[in-house]
Amino acid sequence: MNILFPTSVEAALDALQVNPTARVMAGGTDLLVKRRAGSETPEIVVCMEKVADISCIEVQEDRIRIGAATTMSGLLDNTDIRERLPLLHRAAEVFASPLVRNMATIGGNICTASPAADTLPPLHVLGAEVEIYSSSGKRCIPISDFVVAPGRTSLASGELLGAVIVPVPQGRTIGYFEKVGKRKALAIAVVSLAALLRVESNVITEARLAWGSVGPTVVRCSDVESQLIGSAPTLDTFRSVGESVRRAIHPISDVRASAEYRMEVAVNLLLRLAEQAADPTGIKVGF
Amino acid sequence: MIISFVLDGEEQTLDVDGGLRAVDVLREYCGVTAPKEGCGTGECGACAVLVDGETRLSCLMLAAQMNGCIVTTAQGLGTDGPHPVQEALADLGGVQCGYCTPGIAVTAAEFLERNPDPTRKEIRDALSGNLCRCTGYHKIVDAVEDAAKRLQKEHGRGE
Amino acid sequence: MLSTQTIGSRSRRFDAPEKALGRERFASDEYPESMLWAGALRAGVPHGLLRGVDTTQARAIPGVVAVLTAEDVPGENRQGFIHWDMPVLCGTKVRHAGDAVALVVAETRQILAEALLAIVLDIEPLPVVDGLDAALAPDAPLVHDLETGNVLKQASLRKGNAQAALARCPVVIEETFFTPQQAHCFLETENGTAYMAEDGTLHMTVSTQAPFRDRFEIGRALGLPPDRLHITAPFLGGGFGGKDGSTVQCLLALAAMHAGGRPVKMWWSREESMLAGYKRHAARMHFRLGAEADGTLTALICDLDYDSGAYAHLGVEIMALGLEHSSGPYRVEYLEANGRCIYTNNPVAGAFRGFGVAQVCFAFEGMMDRLAVRLGMDPLELRLKNAIRQGDKNGVGVVMTGSTGMAECLVGLQDHQFWRSRDEWVQSAPPLTRRGVGISAVYNGMGYGRGLADAAVAKIRLTGDGRFRVYNSVSDMGQGNSPTFVQIVCEVLNQNESQMELVQPDTERSHPSGSSSAGRTTYTYGKALIQACEAMRDKLLHRAAMVLMADEASALSLVPGAVRHTSSGRELPLAVLAGMLHPEDRVCIGEAMMPVTHDMPDGGESFRLGFPHLIFPYAAHLARVEVDELTGLVTVCDYVAFTDGGRVLNPQNFEQQVQGAVAQGLGYALWEDCVAENGQLRTTDFSTYVIPGSGDLPDIESHAVETEEESGPFGMKGIGEVGMNGPLPAVASALLRMGLPMIRAPFTPERVLKVLCGGNS
Repeated sequence: MNILFPTSVEAALDALQVNPTARVMAGGTDLLVKRRAGSETPEIVVCMEKVADISCIEVQEDRIRIGAATTMSGLLDNTDIRERLPLLHRAAEVFASPLVRNMATIGGNICTASPAADTLPPLHVLGAEVEIYSSSGKRCIPISDFVVAPGRTSLASGELLGAVIVPVPQGRTIGYFEKVGKRKALAIAVVSLAALLRVESNVITEARLAWGSVGPTVVRCSDVESQLIGSAPTLDTFRSVGESVRRAIHPISDVRASAEYRMEVAVNLLLRLAEQAADPTGIKVGF
Repeated sequence: MIISFVLDGEEQTLDVDGGLRAVDVLREYCGVTAPKEGCGTGECGACAVLVDGETRLSCLMLAAQMNGCIVTTAQGLGTDGPHPVQEALADLGGVQCGYCTPGIAVTAAEFLERNPDPTRKEIRDALSGNLCRCTGYHKIVDAVEDAAKRLQKEHGRGE
Repeated sequence: MLSTQTIGSRSRRFDAPEKALGRERFASDEYPESMLWAGALRAGVPHGLLRGVDTTQARAIPGVVAVLTAEDVPGENRQGFIHWDMPVLCGTKVRHAGDAVALVVAETRQILAEALLAIVLDIEPLPVVDGLDAALAPDAPLVHDLETGNVLKQASLRKGNAQAALARCPVVIEETFFTPQQAHCFLETENGTAYMAEDGTLHMTVSTQAPFRDRFEIGRALGLPPDRLHITAPFLGGGFGGKDGSTVQCLLALAAMHAGGRPVKMWWSREESMLAGYKRHAARMHFRLGAEADGTLTALICDLDYDSGAYAHLGVEIMALGLEHSSGPYRVEYLEANGRCIYTNNPVAGAFRGFGVAQVCFAFEGMMDRLAVRLGMDPLELRLKNAIRQGDKNGVGVVMTGSTGMAECLVGLQDHQFWRSRDEWVQSAPPLTRRGVGISAVYNGMGYGRGLADAAVAKIRLTGDGRFRVYNSVSDMGQGNSPTFVQIVCEVLNQNESQMELVQPDTERSHPSGSSSAGRTTYTYGKALIQACEAMRDKLLHRAAMVLMADEASALSLVPGAVRHTSSGRELPLAVLAGMLHPEDRVCIGEAMMPVTHDMPDGGESFRLGFPHLIFPYAAHLARVEVDELTGLVTVCDYVAFTDGGRVLNPQNFEQQVQGAVAQGLGYALWEDCVAENGQLRTTDFSTYVIPGSGDLPDIESHAVETEEESGPFGMKGIGEVGMNGPLPAVASALLRMGLPMIRAPFTPERVLKVLCGGNS
């Protein structure tokens, strides 16, 4: 196996151009597990750990630009992320274990494109965009267009995920993220729900909800969101959208949980969101 | 490829396949067996080592990634003799079969650098990637708590 | 920390410092020079006829030293030290997906992996016996060609006429319980290294719980004389029963026989360990319990079915313990316990801490909780009322002549603040959360039981430089028997830790002392060691008498590093004394056997080995449990264990055993389950088979109830197993009290949510 260590984005792009079969490795916590299982047999690996300019976090007015090679620990330790993007911070907190968080990157989590990826539901409700580099320049697309299927992104050959750009919610919002796994640390999400609500004068004026692990990619449900808008944030309101959630999600059964369980819990989590919305003293980060 | 790194204070220069796992290179080529393999998939933490002062899972790291780094295992953790966390693990019963212990020692030592006065909950969170099948963790948490006190005392003396 | 190492003191374990420094060398840390790698090809098919193994391509790969199949096995090609039904390499039939069908020896791990992939198997699949129902169906395919179908063993124990007694009971409770296959998940997977010396001796360093027995196992399987097999067992990176049997041993020995004298290493990956390693038997347990209106237990009738997987291993003996313990630590006058041990195409079941007992504890304690609800009785009072006491007969009619602290453990719980404040705690549950406080009362027979001499031969040497070398010959898999042996020597010979050396089992240096199992290690070897130490003390005092000019040895005493003439204070350093003794004269040996019972219930004679038991440790556990009503997630918030293990030799080590067993028991209660579908394992690694991490468990409070076990060394009993048995029933008890009757473990969020929604677990 040949391992390349580019030290700049340009060098990394060149390496990908020269070696079209090369696999990009950020933290290695996914790629090397797959190599062990034999499902990935890369001959050439482009290791991103020495590319300094894609591992920084920059605050740009009303948004935060997170370099793709930022580790989960890097996210956790960053004050701006903690204070201004608590939803994403929470996702980093429940991501795998401290040891894995020191290695795994946000870019890797996004590119792995797992239906259970912890950062994706928060990034969806926050309206994040991804910045993609190629030798011909850079393009920006919404996260929802980036992840297209389990394990598949819209990244073309020779392209590199450079950064995630996350708008900081303005004004007073209620954030909620809950990951349901079989256990606490190191769990793979069986169901997760990220939500961002705006409540003014006891009426929901904005609602964004994204479920993980209940479909091939993150599920946003415009039907549910539009039903919530204009209602009071009561238990009954959230209960009433349960049926729409059931229609929107398509969970599968696997060794971790059955489709029925995922369905039930995806709906039940709305009740915790309701509890949170009724008492919006801060971000509710359940588990 | 030729890789050079500092392992537990000693310079190492090896000519190996850079695609080998770091854990195998440390154990087989360097003879340092403190990092253990328990799962090979990053779930158990027995292979944890410090790379430039940060914990890394050496089973999910390539030999090539060690090039130019300072790698520290449980065998080289203390400065003069055992690290306080190693002493505390032994004294307070945090060691049973001992197979997970080197990974736990390394993880806890790094954690105490960042959080010198942790709560039990914080210790449990910090060790949540290190599986132990013998102790039930209670005494490991006791030991890390105690190590924090030992380190505070040491630092207090130094000031 | 000053480590006094006296008996009863909270001493630091002798083995702990080296382990904490990462310097202890486990079997897996051996990489001898010019070493080869060995690996087995697994069938991948749970049931099938093996038509052919094409090794041509594999043999042609450069760096492949040998590719071996059943034809290359020189002996009986059978392992399994009682029932001998498991081939080393399958010849004609595969019975589970992890069966070994070929063995490769190669220069490197990479070449090994390549060669294993290059072997072509021709297996004609047979219908899969995927569980108990499939195995017992009238037209079930046979896993082995037995006249009894797939039933390896059927047995019944009877004490009186339980059917008639049950019919007379005013209150009868009936329920069926299910427990899963549990994996040991020791962090160090099965491994070893071996080489064949020029003189024909096979030397093996292996992670094993039974080095002495391994010689016979390997010898028989491969046609080697046991005295040409030399086994050493360094500290194990965990065992819990899963290394009590042949794992790598026969395969590794076979590989070494084809390695031209070079050392060979075999080390199973986690995935291979999950697939091919032993598991705890899954069980189905149907119970009918009859009681008087005041809660007095009268009669129990139970039917236990154990899924043995593809081979017998210790299945029959495990079932025997299940039947023996089926009525719990209670007085039950009438008993009928029927058991079947059943072959399937599931992974092979075997020994696991709480050997056959962990399963039935869930059932009988579940019955006690249901009875308490039925009678409107306090569940702790009900247990206390029926708790077995010294002099009582247990369920199978054995008189409890030894220490019997069941009631004392329960009284401990009764006085505990978590029990007294249970109502307030439950009532203060946060929103969307239910709370419950559950308890359990459990026991676990100690030692091999009747029919298998539970014996040990301890050896101690005064070294040339005046220190003491303790030869442990019962594997230390982490439980700390060997540091306790150091403690015993320090105590009896009045020495310091610094005078001690500790040697781990080596069949050429120490004497056969049985396996590391059954909560017996410190008890049996410890008794033998006390004798060896007393002989050593007498010898040293007598020999020193000449030099110190004492007329009687009683005028002398051992002090750290020396013999002292008590009245004059004159001392003879042990190093000097050692120089006066011939090396062969500096060794003392002690022997001990565990007592057995002669009481026997009807039907008991059908178990030749390991039944019944005489000595039991006891425990009462309490769990404070929360359930999230939205997800079904169960959290154990607090845990308390009261344990009667006789006298405590080292409180630290005692707590370690309790806390570790409780952790494993909570794993059994909440997460752990080897899920196989149609004989194919789905939980193949640590991401799918969940063992508890530090964030999943509470602090575990341990209290010792110190009784005096007169037969034991310093009055102790072994507690390695009993703590495993309490958590599952304690958590179930808490769930039942919050209206969630769980009959199937583990209590996954999914099962709990189903019951929360009114379904069945």
